[in-house]
Amino acid sequence: MKKVSIYRPTTVDEAIQILSQHGSSASVYAGGTDLLVRLKNRLEQAPSYLVDIKKIDNLRYIKEDGQGGVEIGAATKLAELADSKLLQEKYPMIVEAITKISSPELRNASTLGGDLLQEVWCQYLRGGYSCWRNGGYLCYGAIGDNSYYHSAMGGRLCYAVYPGDAATALIPFDAHAKLATPQGVKELSIEQMVPGDMLVDGKIQSHVVRYNEILTSVVIPPPKPSVRASFEKLRPRGVWDFAMASLGISLQLNGKTIEDSRVVFGGISGKPYREKTVEAFLRGKTLNTDLGEQAVAVALADAAPLKYNATKIDMAKGLLASGLARLNA
Amino acid sequence: MQNIEALLLEPVGCLAEFPSAPFHEIALQLFGRKRKAGSSASAIYWYVLNLMESARTPLGAEKKRLAENLEVEAVDAASMYEDVAPALAELKSMGIRLFVATSLSRKAAARFIERNSLDEFLSGVHTRDDAGGVKAAPLLKAVGGASLTRGKTMFLTDTLEGIKAAHSAGVHPILMMNDPDEAQRLAMHNPAGGVVSMHEMPDFLRLLAAQNQRGLS
Repeated sequence: MKKVSIYRPTTVDEAIQILSQHGSSASVYAGGTDLLVRLKNRLEQAPSYLVDIKKIDNLRYIKEDGQGGVEIGAATKLAELADSKLLQEKYPMIVEAITKISSPELRNASTLGGDLLQEVWCQYLRGGYSCWRNGGYLCYGAIGDNSYYHSAMGGRLCYAVYPGDAATALIPFDAHAKLATPQGVKELSIEQMVPGDMLVDGKIQSHVVRYNEILTSVVIPPPKPSVRASFEKLRPRGVWDFAMASLGISLQLNGKTIEDSRVVFGGISGKPYREKTVEAFLRGKTLNTDLGEQAVAVALADAAPLKYNATKIDMAKGLLASGLARLNA
Repeated sequence: MQNIEALLLEPVGCLAEFPSAPFHEIALQLFGRKRKAGSSASAIYWYVLNLMESARTPLGAEKKRLAENLEVEAVDAASMYEDVAPALAELKSMGIRLFVATSLSRKAAARFIERNSLDEFLSGVHTRDDAGGVKAAPLLKAVGGASLTRGKTMFLTDTLEGIKAAHSAGVHPILMMNDPDEAQRLAMHNPAGGVVSMHEMPDFLRLLAAQNQRGLS
């Protein structure tokens, strides 16, 4: 394992100070289910300084906010989200998505912030190849085995897929994130926070959180009574695996008429892929048994599969059809 | 890697999809080689360059003209990749100097540039006729002619021969990964980097600049 120094700040301000002091060689450490694996694999890009935020006591909570929404501390364990009665009552789809992340053991360690901001799981990066995210200048996934961990929707230097499921489930509810920065609190929608391969502080990463910023919480707006939502996920095995394709979908209904929708695919692109063409198509349509087939016909027209992953697009379209069927049931 | 100041561009395989038949014809008619040297135009083109380089005597005027005409035929049938012009425009706006450095004849290179309206992006054109040789010769001519710093110059290529030419000219070979299987093989030959398409080059150079600014590269 790569040798590291660990800081244990007790406040967010202290943590930001330490991160600012060490620049890109430091990283926030919470659940460790991503970070420690990168350290164990001695990746070039793995940090030398860990800023353990577990001692900061106001980052781990699930609470109702003043408007009837829910605010979740970024260091809250995924297992705690899965067991939350408040979340189950207000956003059962999010709970369903969380229970499909990884395994029960890992959900006991992983945090919401870690799931949202995790590094990609491309086998070439994790295997120590000198790729764009690991000190090199080439994407091995684009030319090698790209059947699982790589984008079927194009890329920007790196072709790995964004691996998190929480974002795919949160975006349909227009959730947003609060970041602590040296300049104060910054708020971004989840979609803005994980826009896919970005050049940030001289690195390629899936999110826009800078080296000296900390994701502190996620706020989900109050649920609308007329909204139905569903989360679908296909993976090689029933537990543990990342999505080959996933779908977070919400429909705002007036009777059977769709007034608004959010359609977000996971596991197929370098970001949670919001399919606005389908959203526009669904607006004003009647939710019925034929709608899935019609929506599939207009979905993912921008697909750009690599040599071995065209099947991801078929899977994603299948999830769209099954998701709409489920919401119609 | 240092910040990049210049890109050397070989039209065949990097800027456009060329037909392979005219290059095969050159191999056949000028050098009597019947066997097709590869499936891609690039592979056959670089095979022809090897033949030219290893020829004991320089091509006579008639053979030169024949090669030129076949190359022009290839240029006329080539289709430039759709992301090339926007990428070159962006690179130029970033202050990157762009040179065509090619082993094509002057006539064929000029035809390619004119046909695809690339002149506005280019700081110079170096062909085998100007360089007095093929493969690394046009690269060396471009580096010398424009006083480029080798460590700050890249050559885009999609063949092993191109990687070797760049190494021998002292510039960074960047793999154009047009064919994933071929690119996988070529990735083992120590290119300095690789891109799936030309539109990634501006991001590549921005990333390098940001890394150097932060002392990461």
